[in-house]
Amino acid sequence: MPDFTLTSAPPLAGYDKSFADLRLTSPADLALVSLALPLGGEDAAQKAIKSAYGAALPVPGKSVSAKDGARLVRLGLDAGMVIFTHATPDAERVVAARLGGAVYTTDQTDVWTGLELSGPTARAALERICPLDLHDSAFAVNDAARTAMEHLGVLIIRTGQDSFLLLSASSSAGSFLHAVETSIENTI
Amino acid sequence: MTQQYRIKGGGQIDRSTDIAFTFNGKAMKGHPGDTLASALLANGQRLVGRSFKYHRPRGILTAGSEEPNALVQLRSGAHQEPNTRATTVELFEGLAATSQNHRGSLEFDLMAATDLLSPFLAAGFYYKTFMWPRAFWEKLYEPVIRASAGLGRLSMQEDPDRYDKGFVHCDLLVIGAGPAGLAAALAAGRAGARVILADEDFTPGGRLNAETLSIDDMPGADWATQAVAQLTAMDNVRLMIRSTVYGAYDHGVYGLLERCTDHLPDPGGKPRQILWRVYSRRAVLAAGSTERPIAFGNNDRPGIMLAGAMRTYVNRFAVAPGQRIAVFTNNDDGWRTAADLSAAGIDVPAVIDSRDALPPIDLPGIRHVRGAGVVDTVGRKGVRSITLTDGQMIPVDGLAVSGGWNPNVHLTCHQRGRPAWRDDINAFVPGGTLPPGMAVAGAANGALTLAAALAEGRATANAQIKELGFKPSRAAAPRAEDEPRESAPFWYVRESTKRAWLDQQNDVTVKDVKLSYQEGFRAVEHLKRYTTLGMATDQGKTANIPALAIMAECTGKTIPETGTTIFRPPYTPVPMGALAGRARGRDFRPFRLTPSHDWAKANGATFVEAGNWLRAQWYARPGEQGWRDSVDREVLMTRKSVGICDVTTLGKIDIQGRDAGAFLNKVYCNGFATLAVGKVRYGLMLREDGIAYDDGTTARLADNHYVMTTTTANAVLVFRRLEFARQCLWPDMDVHLISTTDGWAQFAVAGPNARALLRKVVDSDHDISNAAFPFMGCAEITVCGGTPARLFRISFSGELAFEIAVPARFGHSMMDVLMEAGREFDAVPYGTEALGVMRIEKGHAAGNELNGQTTAHNLGMGRMVSQKKDCIGNVLSQRPEMIRDDAVKLVGLRPVNRADKLIAGSHFINRGDDATMDNDQGWMTSVAYSPSLGHSIGLGFVKSGDTRQGEIIRAVNPLKTGEIEVEIVSAHFIDPEGERLRA
Amino acid sequence: MIIPHPLLGPRDAAEFVYLGDAALIDRPDWQAEDALAAFHDYGYLRDNPAGPHKELWYHEQGDRSWLVVTRDTTTHEITAVELARDVARSRGRSA
Repeated sequence: MPDFTLTSAPPLAGYDKSFADLRLTSPADLALVSLALPLGGEDAAQKAIKSAYGAALPVPGKSVSAKDGARLVRLGLDAGMVIFTHATPDAERVVAARLGGAVYTTDQTDVWTGLELSGPTARAALERICPLDLHDSAFAVNDAARTAMEHLGVLIIRTGQDSFLLLSASSSAGSFLHAVETSIENTI
Repeated sequence: MTQQYRIKGGGQIDRSTDIAFTFNGKAMKGHPGDTLASALLANGQRLVGRSFKYHRPRGILTAGSEEPNALVQLRSGAHQEPNTRATTVELFEGLAATSQNHRGSLEFDLMAATDLLSPFLAAGFYYKTFMWPRAFWEKLYEPVIRASAGLGRLSMQEDPDRYDKGFVHCDLLVIGAGPAGLAAALAAGRAGARVILADEDFTPGGRLNAETLSIDDMPGADWATQAVAQLTAMDNVRLMIRSTVYGAYDHGVYGLLERCTDHLPDPGGKPRQILWRVYSRRAVLAAGSTERPIAFGNNDRPGIMLAGAMRTYVNRFAVAPGQRIAVFTNNDDGWRTAADLSAAGIDVPAVIDSRDALPPIDLPGIRHVRGAGVVDTVGRKGVRSITLTDGQMIPVDGLAVSGGWNPNVHLTCHQRGRPAWRDDINAFVPGGTLPPGMAVAGAANGALTLAAALAEGRATANAQIKELGFKPSRAAAPRAEDEPRESAPFWYVRESTKRAWLDQQNDVTVKDVKLSYQEGFRAVEHLKRYTTLGMATDQGKTANIPALAIMAECTGKTIPETGTTIFRPPYTPVPMGALAGRARGRDFRPFRLTPSHDWAKANGATFVEAGNWLRAQWYARPGEQGWRDSVDREVLMTRKSVGICDVTTLGKIDIQGRDAGAFLNKVYCNGFATLAVGKVRYGLMLREDGIAYDDGTTARLADNHYVMTTTTANAVLVFRRLEFARQCLWPDMDVHLISTTDGWAQFAVAGPNARALLRKVVDSDHDISNAAFPFMGCAEITVCGGTPARLFRISFSGELAFEIAVPARFGHSMMDVLMEAGREFDAVPYGTEALGVMRIEKGHAAGNELNGQTTAHNLGMGRMVSQKKDCIGNVLSQRPEMIRDDAVKLVGLRPVNRADKLIAGSHFINRGDDATMDNDQGWMTSVAYSPSLGHSIGLGFVKSGDTRQGEIIRAVNPLKTGEIEVEIVSAHFIDPEGERLRA
Repeated sequence: MIIPHPLLGPRDAAEFVYLGDAALIDRPDWQAEDALAAFHDYGYLRDNPAGPHKELWYHEQGDRSWLVVTRDTTTHEITAVELARDVARSRGRSA
């Protein structure tokens, strides 16, 4: 029996707040593992991903939902991310095991912090910080993009007609939350 | 005071509601729909300010954003806002406005004597007069000039309002919601394009609100209301009122300032203004046109107003600008003012037309003075009479002036487009190369009549969206007639002997322009600087064209040959607060916090900014008198037993791939090919020019898996360079990079008891004994019963030390655990100051030494630069000048008199030499008080320093008094043999 | 400015970091006879054209790709955008 135990305290854990028709929450146990496709091994990597998740990595800027609820996001030519719900600090090992070495994996769970913004006026709030065009015709459901909001790098994914998952660096979680909250307060 | 100048009936104002406001403390009333200017005029207040230089009484010249004169100060206290144009301020309940630039009351300005000095204050006066003696400039001239000239006053308090920024996207941006803009937006909206229609006014419609013209058999203003209703009903159209498009930038990006709550007594916690960045695929500029005055003697008296503005006040605001108003015009449009004034029951004694021609409109009962002009006016605080060129005097209380209309070409020039002159309308129109994606329609394009503007707006929008693949709708253009619009060039009344004003905001006269010509400042850009023409907040919207027409006349050139000055953003002033947006105070930039931040805060830490990071600098304990007490204690306790420091901020880059090792061998100057799994190596990166760039350690976790650390400051830059190397230099290496800086909470555990402490935390199946886990070892382990962790046996302090990393979510808890486990060893947390002291004691180079000027050779690491492999920087690092034997070398320094304090930045001079740069021997880079040694120590670069140990030189600091003698010693003050860190 | 990213479409230049002349891809051979001179030129000499210019931009707040952007320095008109990795390969950096 160890003398000491560690307790988990992600920066925005438990955050859940409603503003008029909007809800902003920090999704619990959000695990992220980056995928890097080996040079020359892209086909094998995609095959491994497909057999593990039932879906291959889509084209850059898109994401797909896998059978088990995980989301596969393509971030660049040779880079992607799998986002899923997983509480223990071994997300990378879980993904690596499923992919059998065909893909380089790195645990990104603690690198990021997540906020889900949902509600009919979500786009109006995001308009104050997000330089990307989030109109249906330009950023459809399941589209994903990295950009900067209030000087912070953000990965934004449209998870539904009126809902967006925003991921940003965990060290600046406070500033990130403040930026999103201010945008909401300024628009509702 | 009643609104005695309010016309009975008509106007776009809500007479059922009164709005109370004050001007210079005087209570007045207006109605919703009024501007401050229209409400002032309704209350008979024609004198609204004093001019910038001569303190001349001034009134309201225009009815729009081009206003040069009616600048007022709004609100009070911290909300006070100077230099707002009364002509654009939307009236609200409780508005308190005051006039500017006078001492004593507005009516009896004590500074008005300046006006009598005007013969001495002509153009260029400052340049000629206040040059000498030079010492007087700052102490005397400038304060006096600043006190007498000028505009409003800042509150000198922090702006209490909120501002925001935003990003909007559209297929078509329509700038201006006048007839052309509305027609354009309707066309594009009907075709299904995503349209943004922006207008600076609070009521869309542009001139339609100010005129008595009809469209589709209804009053123009009603048509505009109907068009706005149609547009509002379209999902794909966004109407932005109170929104000025102030700049046209590259690739269809426009700057737009939206005034959200300026028209409300209380913003209700919402942003006052939003600075939008508009991303457009195409744009239609439908910004309309601006009327210009004619210059004549004393043409600046209150009551003298542009003719089109008179129509605005009468038709839109139902305000009579006077009871007896003459019209002075060089064009047909001025006649329409006479007609509208007359129709509103205002006495129009005469229309003075510079042209010797028949009247364009038949106006029974109004005298027509042909081929004449106004030479002078009377009435200090309001015009009382005008004198014509033939000497006759007409008593009036108002004069409408029209010198023709200038298309608002400004935004077409923001990317250096030059406007073109059109003789038929005597005005510049958009010319040359327009900003890509922009087309111009309506009056802004020289289509100065209604039917033409409507048709052009529709056609231009259709052409624009067709290029984007939309199918234009078949809806017909609205029906309207074209007004008479003949004009003749006539800029100023040459018979006038009195001062004839061009730029009323900067007090520039016709005579000043002629003086500028005489003195050789003849190019428009010189004219502008010499006279300050067009340099005021209105940027000369009403003044510039007449002035350059006069310069053209002087030089005998045509107006297009004379040209215009360059139009630059912003079109109208943008408040600094809006430019700052949210980036104020603590929100200036984001903060990055380490996982133990809250722990540190609760344990007395003082924080220091390191880039965006806040790092614990030291941890004060009760009784400590200052930071040095805390830092000395942290160093001594760490060296004696064990200390813990959060080093999460160091950059961490996860590197994987078949070629990861080969890649590291390219980017570090020292060899990495032989690094074994489970080992860490120090690496030095060079720039391609051979200068040292960054350093850190890289651990090999598995065959194809490395973790690199960088300095805190360079984490982002190193990552960028590695991506450059990977993609641009060695594109076929299988290597992949991803930052994990934020993912791991990493702590240095340093001191003789470091291992003993960690043994209590690291799960027992991991052997961390010196034999099993020696210096420069690394391993993936578990701690506290199974939590994954990484352990590195590296030392920055020179002690037996480890860095232990756990997933960041456990960081706070890990700090607690380490401190708890360290209790029996009196473990201390230490901050960046103690970290810095210990690294100086150990002689480790850091940012002060890797300052972008030094090489591996200077740092004493020259032999590390491998010449047996290709790596960034190795070729140029071997240039002869960079590897000279007498180059500066990193050494340690200690004061000969141990009580002396070393000062970083001091330069070294040999004993007996003069303290000149010729004799410079190097400089001190880092200093600290070493609590371990009990005196000040330093690191520095000394010429041939590696061969001069024991020599005594002088550390000279001309900025602070004195110099001290220092001895050159090894940089390794503590444990030079490295026994401790291998213990 | 807007940079049309070959994979991601139009993106605000604010997401990018500018480096400079795309000739930086053509890093000399360290073992060549004239390596020192070649590296000197590579490091210090740049053309400064008024007109089309091939230059390196890094999509730092995006997919982390390095791009070769052909931009007219007098108008900012962008006429071509390629992945720098492809350009590097086409210039023979695969070896």
